Amino acid sequence: MFEKILIANRGEIALRVIRACKDLGVKSVLVYSEADAQSLPVLLADEAVCIGPAPSSESYLNYKQILSAAEICDVDAIHPGYGFLSENADFARICNSCNIEFIGPTPEQIISMGDKAPAKKKMIEAGVPVTPGSDGLVADVKEAQKIAEKLGYPVIVKATAGGGGKGMRIAHNNASLVKGYHAAQAESQNAFGNGDLYVEKYIERPRHIEFQILADKHGNVIHLGERDCSIQRRHQKLLEETQSPVLTPKLRAAMGAAAVKAAKGVGYSSVGTVEFILCEDGKFYFMEMNTRIQVEHPITEELTGVDLVKAQIRSAAGEKLTIRQKDVVFRGHAIECRINAEDPYNNFSPRPGVVELFIPPGGIGVRVDSHVYSGYKIPPNYDSMIAKLIVHGNTREEAIARCRRALDEFHISGPGIKTTIPILKYILGREDFATGKYDTSYIEKIFDKFLATSE
Amino acid sequence: MELDDIKAIVELMAKHNLSEFKVESDSMHLCLKRESADKGIIQQIAVPAGVTMAAPVAPQVQPATAAAPAGAAAPGNDENKVTIDAPIVGTFYRSASPDTEAFAKVGDKVDPDSVICIIEAMKVMNEIKAEKSGIIKEILVENAQSVEYGCPLFVIE
Repeated sequence: MFEKILIANRGEIALRVIRACKDLGVKSVLVYSEADAQSLPVLLADEAVCIGPAPSSESYLNYKQILSAAEICDVDAIHPGYGFLSENADFARICNSCNIEFIGPTPEQIISMGDKAPAKKKMIEAGVPVTPGSDGLVADVKEAQKIAEKLGYPVIVKATAGGGGKGMRIAHNNASLVKGYHAAQAESQNAFGNGDLYVEKYIERPRHIEFQILADKHGNVIHLGERDCSIQRRHQKLLEETQSPVLTPKLRAAMGAAAVKAAKGVGYSSVGTVEFILCEDGKFYFMEMNTRIQVEHPITEELTGVDLVKAQIRSAAGEKLTIRQKDVVFRGHAIECRINAEDPYNNFSPRPGVVELFIPPGGIGVRVDSHVYSGYKIPPNYDSMIAKLIVHGNTREEAIARCRRALDEFHISGPGIKTTIPILKYILGREDFATGKYDTSYIEKIFDKFLATSE
Repeated sequence: MELDDIKAIVELMAKHNLSEFKVESDSMHLCLKRESADKGIIQQIAVPAGVTMAAPVAPQVQPATAAAPAGAAAPGNDENKVTIDAPIVGTFYRSASPDTEAFAKVGDKVDPDSVICIIEAMKVMNEIKAEKSGIIKEILVENAQSVEYGCPLFVIE
């Protein structure tokens, strides 16, 4: 086991990793920017080193400073959290060359899963179902048209380097395909420096179902069930749940096996997530693989009782997985609500500032992962997520009721502070959510009705 | 206490050459310190002690010494001093090698381009420039000490 781990992240995930370190008896070092000097993880880490001013590029993304801190603190491993450098192959490579273990995938795995078109190719080789589409990148708009006609409209043009919803355009006919092709290319070139595209059949009303993978360095790979992340706004998740209300045990087993095949296909040895799109007819296709711990990992923890961050650290330290696939138990139902400091009535515009009063809910089956406390000043320089409310119940109905009650209890206020709690409450109170009948177009469909509700 | 009130107090202090002003009440604590003319006057305004909702006091959290790696300097406690701070994380050295002279000693005059120390980061010996003009008054860190970003290294006048 490692002696000391440096956490190259901030906010709630930094706190999460510090907690896992303490539970494992491992010392924690946190690097932080000047804007985070008063944050909770800085106070709880065993050691903390200021590495730069507020802008991420000069602090959390500045690997020279991070590695310098790792050197002066004499750490043996670095945990990158999610976002920032967690899927940066260069950073992983440099850590390895400094004999510091990068707690995550290998640089090669980051590269092979980071570029979507080659990742798809690898999945085809591994025997994992993929969305029908072009065989790799398309050379030009003419080729895109030929493929679109073969697949049948609607299709989606996607950037291979894309992410977070950028570089994609849906086309319902030849004319919109030409327009979409050029727009996606320009957007991707601007955002990622790479304008390469591929084409896929566009699945209407898909559900986004992802499987949690846990692997070790000895070739063992298991899955810990799915998470239904279909409640999204502009490709950003708002709420996740497990188990998915639409998966049958048979479908779960099939998708789980495909996820394990995908992870084995790239020799994966850490925690990761395989994302699928699930069609109305029950067909599922590989979408992408995320080679990091994810924001929504807690619902899987509540469902299975497995501490994923501890497992990730153990795996990185070379320990063998102690759980086999048949040992995995799914108990009850869990829901996560992401709470952002944003005003849902005003286009989700960010509302940072001082949180004068922060009173999280509690009770059986209620967990809050947050770095916020009363008096904490939310800095404007980073993403707006301030808390994750994770609720567990013996049934989906119990989990929904508990979640609604917890959101009612949750008090977050301060000058100018607004949160997304109102829209979460609204969704959880709706009949169509209660029946589990929703897909990725859900927020779009109900948004106007939400706006009509009074605050 | 309104901003206009605070401004009026500041003007009064400058007019009568007062260096410190404190006022405390049930709901507020205000402390104004004034030093040399070219530095900002307002040093410290404490957070209001109560919150309108009759809730527990918002704790004023200090990172304290737990926030520094073992061996890093405790920052100078007088905020009025002008300091040269570490622009990178690493190990501080006063000279280029154990047997050469220190770059900057107390009493030395420096200008923005003067090299005042070395901070070693990832086996690279970075020469750190003063970026300021003045005379070195105090050296706040020890040779071979680990320093973080922003750590005060020298007091300069």
